[in-house]
Amino acid sequence: MTVFGRIIKFALQDIFRNLGLSAMTVFILVLMLLSVNTLWSLDVVTREAVALTKDQVNMSLYLKSSTLDKEVVELTTFLHTVSEVTAVQVVDRAAVVESFKQRHQLSPDVIQALTELGGNPFGPTVVVKAKEPQDYEKIIAVLNVPEYTKLIESKSFDQHEEILGRIQTITNRVESVGLGLTAVFAVIAFLIIFNMIRVAIVTQRTEISIKRLVGANNWFIRGPYLIAAVIFTLVSIGITAVIVYSTVSWLDKYVGVLFQNGFSLTNYYASHMLYLFSLEAAAVLVLTVASSSLAMRRQLKV
Amino acid sequence: MIKLENIVKMYPGSGVVLDEINLHIKAGEFVSIVGQSGAGKTTLVKLLIAEEKPSGGIIHIGDWDITTIGSSVVPFLRRQLGVIFQDFKLLPKKTVFENVAFALEVAGTSPRKIKQIVPPVLHIVGLGDKHDRYPNELSGGEQQRVVIARSLVHRPKVIIADEPTGNLDSINTAEIIEILKKINEFGTTVVLVTHNREVVNHLRRRVVTLADGKIINDEKEGKYIL
Repeated sequence: MTVFGRIIKFALQDIFRNLGLSAMTVFILVLMLLSVNTLWSLDVVTREAVALTKDQVNMSLYLKSSTLDKEVVELTTFLHTVSEVTAVQVVDRAAVVESFKQRHQLSPDVIQALTELGGNPFGPTVVVKAKEPQDYEKIIAVLNVPEYTKLIESKSFDQHEEILGRIQTITNRVESVGLGLTAVFAVIAFLIIFNMIRVAIVTQRTEISIKRLVGANNWFIRGPYLIAAVIFTLVSIGITAVIVYSTVSWLDKYVGVLFQNGFSLTNYYASHMLYLFSLEAAAVLVLTVASSSLAMRRQLKV
Repeated sequence: MIKLENIVKMYPGSGVVLDEINLHIKAGEFVSIVGQSGAGKTTLVKLLIAEEKPSGGIIHIGDWDITTIGSSVVPFLRRQLGVIFQDFKLLPKKTVFENVAFALEVAGTSPRKIKQIVPPVLHIVGLGDKHDRYPNELSGGEQQRVVIARSLVHRPKVIIADEPTGNLDSINTAEIIEILKKINEFGTTVVLVTHNREVVNHLRRRVVTLADGKIINDEKEGKYIL
């Protein structure tokens, strides 16, 4: 325990004697971690956006005005048996015409034309919700039998597919750029830590030779550099956590406007904090310990 | 105590530096190893402190066969040896007390024990009142006495001194040699590597003379013959 305490003491001495270099190392690690967290946040937000958009996607089956109520019931009963369908809602003719009038209340010509027709020219509408956007193709396929095609006037859902496609493309591009940035910061962090340890070892050659001379074992000589790597990791994770938490708290009011479903980045980070930062700490630790070990292997022939 | 059997040391490009060295130093002896530059003295010291391994032969120090020990065991060997060099090897940012304590710190000695051990050792080398000075505030002789104190804190059975008076004037040289004699009187084996004729002749102890990597003379109460 005494030896371990002294190793920590020597590690802290090394860090404070090379304060500028230590600060630079932590700074680069924080930049790298921030880029990882930005990437992560974007991923969470886009996943949420895609899920929300998917949730809003549905297919409307506009039935012919001649459709009987019995046929509507048959159709909805059949749709409930299709495994891809999650919900079926029927909008009756009266509601359809009411909705039409509301949409066109500022267009007197359209309302006039409707009045001139005399009765209700619309058939009922069946709104179908599927598990996944691609499932609508399957649903259309199963409806493509004479029994149902004779009832269906038209269908709509195509524009949602396009929106989903665009969101996915943007997400993929953001992820590629983010991954590239993270890789660049990781390489810079590796080189800085490697050089920091190397400089520390070179400037302390005398001290290291004296340690060897008086019988210090390898762990006593190498230990402070490894402990310094652990300290850099913990400090950079701590700083990053504070920055990320403050930023997402600030961003939440803007994100909240986009998502009306109560989604909150702060809540997301609060519930995933342990997992996320443990994962990042493990990755940074591997990076710092690997660079320290490499620097020591090159500089310390103990 | 120290036994060298058929020791050969070769360096690529330099040829044979030590050639068939056979030397037996008993416990409690004070042995001077003398020779001109390039005779192989420093190489012999490096082999004795396991900084290098011989190309052939066996070296025993106490119960250790140091030619076969692994690198993880070397620190434990070095805690059994006190090593003194010409260039002092003191830490400039540590006080006299801290420099001496450093040898105990690396061995895991508790702070309480360090406070018990260091002051008497500093007293033995005559630096009891200078424990809070930094190396640059001391004379060369005093710095070398700090090194001796540091080498004594582990209570070593052997002291290996490689040209300990090389940077000192005659007064400080005499003082250091007196301290080494005192340490030897307490039963510690002292191996003094030097080319100082006056020191060797004044000591009247065993003298081993090296020339071109070979022992050319070994006398019980010898003199500097080169």
